[in-house]
Amino acid sequence: MKAKKVLSAVLALATLVSMSACGTSKSSGTSGADSGSSAVPNIYDIKLGEDYKDIKADLTFLTHRTDIADTVFADYIKKFNELYPNIKITYDALTDYAEEATVRLTTDDWGDIMMIPTTVQKNELPNLFVSFGKLDDLNKVYNFNNNFAYKGNVYGIASVGNAQGIVYNKKVFEAAGVTSLPKTPDEFLDALQKIKDKTDAIPMYSNYAAGWTMGAWDAYIGGSATGDADFMNVKLPHMKNPFSKKDDMTGPYAVYYVLYEATKRGLIEDDPTTTDWEGSKGMINRGEIGCMVLGSWAIVQMQQAGDNAADIAYMPFPISVGGKQYASAGPDYCYGINKKVSTDEQIAAMLYIKWLTEKSNFAYDQGGIPIDKTQKYPDTLKAFDGIELVVDTPAPEGEETLFNDLNTASELGINSSNDKKSEILEAAMNGTKTLDQIMDEWNQKWTAAQEKYKVEIKY
Amino acid sequence: MMEDSMGKASSLKKIFGMGKGQRILVIVTFMFLPLLLLFVFTYLPFLKMFQFSFYDMKYIGKREWVGLQNYIDVFTRDDCFKALKLCFYYMAGAIVQLVIALYFATVLSFKVKGGAFFKGAMFFPSLICGIAVGFIFKFFYTRGFVLDTVLSWLGFAKESLPYWLKDTSINNFSLAATSVWKYMGQNMVLFIGAIMSVDKELYEAAMIDGANAWNKFRYIILPSIKSIVVLNLILSITGSISAFEPPYVITNGTNGTGTYFVIMDRIAHQNQKVGLASAMAIVLLGILILCTIAQKVILNVMFNDKTESYSRKALKKMRKEERLKRKEAREAARA
Repeated sequence: MKAKKVLSAVLALATLVSMSACGTSKSSGTSGADSGSSAVPNIYDIKLGEDYKDIKADLTFLTHRTDIADTVFADYIKKFNELYPNIKITYDALTDYAEEATVRLTTDDWGDIMMIPTTVQKNELPNLFVSFGKLDDLNKVYNFNNNFAYKGNVYGIASVGNAQGIVYNKKVFEAAGVTSLPKTPDEFLDALQKIKDKTDAIPMYSNYAAGWTMGAWDAYIGGSATGDADFMNVKLPHMKNPFSKKDDMTGPYAVYYVLYEATKRGLIEDDPTTTDWEGSKGMINRGEIGCMVLGSWAIVQMQQAGDNAADIAYMPFPISVGGKQYASAGPDYCYGINKKVSTDEQIAAMLYIKWLTEKSNFAYDQGGIPIDKTQKYPDTLKAFDGIELVVDTPAPEGEETLFNDLNTASELGINSSNDKKSEILEAAMNGTKTLDQIMDEWNQKWTAAQEKYKVEIKY
Repeated sequence: MMEDSMGKASSLKKIFGMGKGQRILVIVTFMFLPLLLLFVFTYLPFLKMFQFSFYDMKYIGKREWVGLQNYIDVFTRDDCFKALKLCFYYMAGAIVQLVIALYFATVLSFKVKGGAFFKGAMFFPSLICGIAVGFIFKFFYTRGFVLDTVLSWLGFAKESLPYWLKDTSINNFSLAATSVWKYMGQNMVLFIGAIMSVDKELYEAAMIDGANAWNKFRYIILPSIKSIVVLNLILSITGSISAFEPPYVITNGTNGTGTYFVIMDRIAHQNQKVGLASAMAIVLLGILILCTIAQKVILNVMFNDKTESYSRKALKKMRKEERLKRKEAREAARA
């Protein structure tokens, strides 16, 4: 009896101790990392294959690429381990990446490398991620460093660059008699109408049910629709009614006009609510779909979805500013290194990211714009010859978080959420609101957010 | 000597408590872990959420105290309470679900050919996880897929069929139907369990009296399983107010299908207004508590027929008589 009592007391004590032990070991780990984080070198100072040959680390890598985590990435790890055999890398692929990564980020031990979610505010970057080096120095060797740069330091290296345009099936456009690529929203809608009249293909597939495909429309409202690199980060926060219609059909209104009118005129799929994203890749490859409005990252996926890779092509978004076409270009998800892990792990993570950027061929595998400035554009972006790529300039100092603040306060979720863009398609499909009404609402919300943050109206 | 050690042992026993002390020790040690888990994973997050509801905050970054502003927003925004209206679709679904479950439970409680198979088949959907159910029904409702094909076998012209998820006048019914499909079996099994406990002799007596199947259901089965029916009703209706999985997985809450929970999730995760979403959750909790109380009161009034009050009175009388008898007996013994 007594023995049992003692045993139970010991057990209870043991559980208590083990619980508190969890807490202490974690906190000691973070404090150690904090003191040593200055020892991490800049990414451009490292010589791959020469420095840190003996470093030992066990890395966890959060990625959104569920489709290639076990194939392409596994291959990369193998090649990387030829250089650094003692660095072990495990990929953790999340399906609902944007949301799940944000939640995991609030804990300190989410892993070592992640694709930084777009919800992270710039002023939080130094608390969460390790700096890769100075912005000015990085700009000499890599593209697209601005997205996660804060106070002259860069906290995120782009995995690959995307140009924004429209994936289309050349054969379908030819069969419909569309010989030259449309350059304005109305030319584009006419071309879609021709496809509807002359072929069996769905002119434009919205992929509405997937949700994020609607959010993808936001990527065109900056450079593609205005040709102005300052539009997104410098001007938009200070603009009065940025979503209003412009006479020359440029700007955000023109982008959403294409979506609204195509839906209203029945130029999209019959029932958008039951679309299947994976299936749509094969459909465009077989010529059952005319085009899809998606970033350049989609090209390779569409080509690989069937036997007709040669039919898949890419064109810029049909908006002309003063007779000239532009295309936004920018980084895809960016790599970030956890600030709260040990210095060795941070250095090992830095080595792997450098290797991914310079040696892995990831940009060509994915048909995107390479991050390493010494590498050339891939073949898939040939249609962009003569089209000027517009890379958004970073927000001026002191306003790094302003766009994000307005974006969340207004709930428009530009480049970060889907529901407002889904509403455009719904309104056109159900005939509930006109595009002007929707854009007026957006203007009101934008203005209210500007008032909340006391933003000066300059444009 | 012997006695002495015995005495020592008994005093030790007293200190370490074979009696009260030990009981408390046992209670504390056994209760500690479950209570700790309950506190850490239920009450602590709830208190945190309650605290968040007074702040203007994102997941990451600074928090700013805004007092009751979030609650004011919940009541003045047009999307929050509009979303609450959708729960009527799911409530209607819940009632249909209970009626069907009751019907099958009654049928299957008696000897039916292949009864066990049907029970299993109808219970099966509640074993599938909600996300999978969502994906199943996404394809089920796709134009020209399962549902349309089955209906065309039954003679409906394919062109005359509606778009199950696109048409805003019926898409909420489609979604509510999926939750009926999922939870009906579970209700049915609970009902079967309750019906099994009904005394078989009552049926025989009813048969002799010439009662038909409906009479048996109305006057024997329904009154006997009343409490479990009421319990299921309350659970289903509170569940329908917090409907989440079908609209979240099948339609993402788009096209007029965003229920309160889906909107809450959107505000918390896409718009990063954690404080506002927390306030929404607290408001929903208040609504659920009110609903549960209202249901209890209404059902008490409805089900409190005279037979019960009569039997209660009889019970009271019996107890009183018993007490009196005991008193008399004691007095007699003393005398």
